[in-house]
Amino acid sequence: MKEQQHEAHVKGEQKQDRPVMRFGMAIDLDKCTGCGSCMVACMSENNVSFREDESNKQDSITWIRVYELTNGKSYPDTEVCYLPRPCQHCEGHDGHSPCVSVCPATATDYSRETGIVSQIYTRCFGCRYCMAACPYHARYFNWWDPIWPEGMEKYLSPNVSPRMRGVVEKCSFCFHRYQSAKDKAYLNGEKRVAEEAYQTACTQACPAGAIVFGDLNNPEHKVHKIVQPDPHNGNKSKNPRAFRLLERLGTNTKVYYMSDREWVRRAGDNYLAHEETGKISKPHH
Amino acid sequence: MKVDRRSFLSFVIGGAAGTALSPLPWKLMDDSSIWSQMWPWTPVPPDGEVIYEDTTCSLCPGGCGISVRKVDNRAIKIEGKKGHPINDGGICLLGLSGLQLLYGPTRIKSPMKRMGERGEGKWQKISWKEAATILSEKLGEIRNKGEAHTVAAISGAGGGTVPALLQRLLTAYGSPNFMRMPSQSSAEEPVLKGVFDEEGRLGYDLENADYILSFGSGILDGWGSPVRMFRANSQWKDNKVPVIQIETRLSNSAAQSSRWVAINPGTEADLALGIAAVMISKKMVRSGNISGFRGWKRELLAGYPAEKVSETTGVPVDVIVELAKGFGSAKRPLALYGRGKGVTAGSLREISAITALNALSGNINEEGGLWAVSQADYIRWPKVDTDKIASAGLSQPRYDGAGEDSSGLAQSLIHRIAGNINGEEPYQLQALLVAGANPCHDLPDSQGVNAALSKIPFIVSFSSFNDETAAMADLLMPDHVYLEKYEDVPVCAGLVKQVVGLSKPVVSPQFNTHHLGETLITTAKMMGDTIAGAFPWEDYETCLKETLGNKWDSLMETGVWEDSDVNTVAKKVKPAPLDTKIVTAEGDVNSFPLLLVPYDTIRISSSYIGSTPFMVKTVADTIIKGKDGFVEINPQTAEANGLKEGTIATLTTPRGGARVRIHLVHGIQPGVIAMVRGLGHTAYDGYLADKGVNINDLIGPVEDPSSGLDAAWGIRAKLDKA
Amino acid sequence: MGTLDEKAKDVMDDGVAHTGRDKDTGAGGLIILFFIIGFAGSMVLGWVVFPKLLYSQKQQPFNFNHALHMEEVDNGCESCHSFREDGSFTGIPKLAQCTDCHEETMGESEDEAIFVEQYVWKEREVPWLSYSRQPDCVFFSHAAHVIGAEMDCITCHGHHGETETTRPYEYNRITSYSRDIWGHNISGIAKNTWDTMKMDDCAQCHKKAGVNRTSSVQTERDACFVCHK
Repeated sequence: MKEQQHEAHVKGEQKQDRPVMRFGMAIDLDKCTGCGSCMVACMSENNVSFREDESNKQDSITWIRVYELTNGKSYPDTEVCYLPRPCQHCEGHDGHSPCVSVCPATATDYSRETGIVSQIYTRCFGCRYCMAACPYHARYFNWWDPIWPEGMEKYLSPNVSPRMRGVVEKCSFCFHRYQSAKDKAYLNGEKRVAEEAYQTACTQACPAGAIVFGDLNNPEHKVHKIVQPDPHNGNKSKNPRAFRLLERLGTNTKVYYMSDREWVRRAGDNYLAHEETGKISKPHH
Repeated sequence: MKVDRRSFLSFVIGGAAGTALSPLPWKLMDDSSIWSQMWPWTPVPPDGEVIYEDTTCSLCPGGCGISVRKVDNRAIKIEGKKGHPINDGGICLLGLSGLQLLYGPTRIKSPMKRMGERGEGKWQKISWKEAATILSEKLGEIRNKGEAHTVAAISGAGGGTVPALLQRLLTAYGSPNFMRMPSQSSAEEPVLKGVFDEEGRLGYDLENADYILSFGSGILDGWGSPVRMFRANSQWKDNKVPVIQIETRLSNSAAQSSRWVAINPGTEADLALGIAAVMISKKMVRSGNISGFRGWKRELLAGYPAEKVSETTGVPVDVIVELAKGFGSAKRPLALYGRGKGVTAGSLREISAITALNALSGNINEEGGLWAVSQADYIRWPKVDTDKIASAGLSQPRYDGAGEDSSGLAQSLIHRIAGNINGEEPYQLQALLVAGANPCHDLPDSQGVNAALSKIPFIVSFSSFNDETAAMADLLMPDHVYLEKYEDVPVCAGLVKQVVGLSKPVVSPQFNTHHLGETLITTAKMMGDTIAGAFPWEDYETCLKETLGNKWDSLMETGVWEDSDVNTVAKKVKPAPLDTKIVTAEGDVNSFPLLLVPYDTIRISSSYIGSTPFMVKTVADTIIKGKDGFVEINPQTAEANGLKEGTIATLTTPRGGARVRIHLVHGIQPGVIAMVRGLGHTAYDGYLADKGVNINDLIGPVEDPSSGLDAAWGIRAKLDKA
Repeated sequence: MGTLDEKAKDVMDDGVAHTGRDKDTGAGGLIILFFIIGFAGSMVLGWVVFPKLLYSQKQQPFNFNHALHMEEVDNGCESCHSFREDGSFTGIPKLAQCTDCHEETMGESEDEAIFVEQYVWKEREVPWLSYSRQPDCVFFSHAAHVIGAEMDCITCHGHHGETETTRPYEYNRITSYSRDIWGHNISGIAKNTWDTMKMDDCAQCHKKAGVNRTSSVQTERDACFVCHK
């Protein structure tokens, strides 16, 4: 009898308190200074390893990487813009993001509850199919054992598993922070995790305040207000400043970028000469 | 019984069947797959109670509040402190990676004395008692010979009680030779003394300004208090405040400004004066703030017509007029001074021109303007009682001649140290104490500095880290790092208000190190007499508590003390005469057709605190590739010199040469090449050493005759394909 | 030489002859016998010897009497195993919590004397070996289960609170996991909910309790990040 009540309770809770969330980001490229704080915040939050020579950027693990874009004009009309690129947490069509669709090991997964693309290191066997599938180079392979200089392993966080050689890793939107926030919410009897209770390390650290993170589905959240995603048009933003990377691939990413500069918005996708940004046809799946 | 083949096979089959029906193969398979996915040598961080401890970051002069996340006794993450008056939650990448310094391999783990040759790296661990004895005996020996003045100390750029204790030790001992590494504060000294004719420091009311004219100041490259600058910049974006960046190279600051005005290097003063002239001729100025305005104005209008300025600076006339109109008509315009991170002083001419521009707009000590305020003066110790030897020593001239020049604008002219030691004047230094500074890497003409230091018979380093200067030392007495100790962190860095932060220990000392304040007090006590008498405190913590007085309690509670009610020191500006000498780049144009300028980036630390492994990891492969460093060059110049992207070339300047790689960028003036500051380390650890080139190997000091300060902004150079 | 060869041939022939003769009578039995020997031997090896080889034992620093403590405290398990303010679970208490009562020895027990003398007075944490520690890749929320789903401790930990002695800590030599994860039954079969603590057990219980959602695109079950980190 007691057990039945128990079950009912759990079920009830599930129905009431499990709204579908889509965590996402809005990054203002006009505010981003290219300082790299987000990269280091991420590395120190997520136990990312490092080696003596990290200048081969193809195997240098940086879950969020700041790219430099240029308008290609010559002196003194040159312009430069910085673009931080975390995992874009593609929703694709019903969660069939490029990497999730190809993973033969069920090591990467899309959660319909949070919209987060997860990576389970112990499940991954390192085939790197997902890396080939990811259009954003957001995934990294551990070519070496993670080794910290003697004594430095003291700063490793227990909230994030250090990765072993031979597996793929990537940005998790600091999901462990959501877990911790949820624990606290349980203790305080709160039904939902508050917006400020779950923020990624990069968002929190950004000295320019260029990153806004939250639930794209929640009209109360700042990120929703900035992005104004249009669910009837593949979640395309209604904000004329906003764009997504390679939006026309239909990857339906949850990281939105903003800029006043047309050349920057154009850099987000491949355009024909006559095409304009902001007039993107509905992505077809 | 004989076992025949069939029986044996039957046995094997039976065994196989039994094995298959036992858990052995399945469990073994499961376990080995687990083993193969969780290599036992992959670390498993222990879990525990999470707590946050707040303290103040003192890795740069910015003075940000930080929150250190700990799991039991381990510090695991540094975050920006929410609500802190300077950074309000934001944090830079150096601050974020502070734990790599705390736990990292660059730490000096105990006091040591040199065993092998200098720089050989052979050390013997000694006790603190032995180290203190060596130091006090050596100092006593020199002092007894009546040569107290031949002991010098070099301190880092920061202020507060610890550098003050070092200076006090020197004074009580009898040496006038307390020197500081170049910093924004030292770069401001000539502004205050030379232009405002008073002592104090500068404050920029950035948040309230509505038009920013930056003469090469690295707003987003580490100028001032970096996180405050980032926040101000975002605020300007939100409020559509125009930010004009005047610079030869498209720096990060220029890239994110509302407008980049490309200028010929070293001509910032001319542009400032040209803008001033246009503002005056358009009657867009408030003249009351400039003393001797009439005469100055007449000369200015005659000497700096827009056409001529345009020719000098390379900035089109219409742009000069536009800038003048913009600056002149803005309600609260503000012009910024100090190239890059702002740690090297410009020429008096440049300082004066930019300050005059601010004065003309009427923004001195006004909302959104430039403030000349008095220094925070909470350190009020009784005057040092000097004995005869000390008085004799103190009456000797300073080693770097600071304060004796006709101008007397600077308290410290540390760039002269190499030249003086190598030239053996005015006297020979017998001992050097180095604290929180790395002159062997960070001073211009680093080869000269190294040669000079090798001539000093006794060098003591108090550094926490294996830096280049510590490598040259005879005695190492390592200080705690900031996360292990109490210390006051007075923040200047361009703030208008007075802010003092408190650094608190968040972890117990990781190695056998001692607080520098403690080491200094102990040493003084061991030397006895008036020297001991100048240090009446039982220990450093007592000294700190007494010094901070009633600020202590609020500092312990909130970690920061601030006072917005500042004393302004001056309002009137006395611009330098317009015929003040122009500081040009060293080297002649014919042998060195190119111009090399250093640049700063926030991703590379260019001071005593070396870049952390995480910082180096963020550096682009067009700045460091393997061990090679890059120079930036305009594609046009590169083509003319037969150089391509990634080509290896030899970069030569009048001061030295280096192997570099070529990186083509459009955002740099043709004929100019740029190289980042802060690389080319030979010490620290494998994550930082032997990467890129130390630009100080290639550039030397160029003294501004009007201030005595090093005002080098670049050097002539040439590039040859290797 | 020739004679020896012949003899040898004789023996061999003899052998062949024998086998031929026994073909219908004893040979089948012998084969079955060997099959059974092989079968039984490997079964013994797999079920009895293998677990002994696979697991190694460690003794706890000293014996702990849960039953005794349960009588002394008011709030059951949560008196000592509690939640922190941030919602995380303390697990095995730290020394500070124990010294609230045990600053000096309270009883006669030898174990308490060890505890007080070796740990309390020396201010050393007791290096307890945790039977229920999940591997590093697992995120387990006590808050979700105990507060959210109002489950009791017994469901997963069994009647640990009633034990009077601490059994030896057994761990897998290959994976270094505690034996409690796989369970003490080498076949991995559980009679009680607390017998095993594997991923499948989590999934099974979630399914039973109806919290099984279909948030995972890959599996149509709970998404991986619910329990993994």
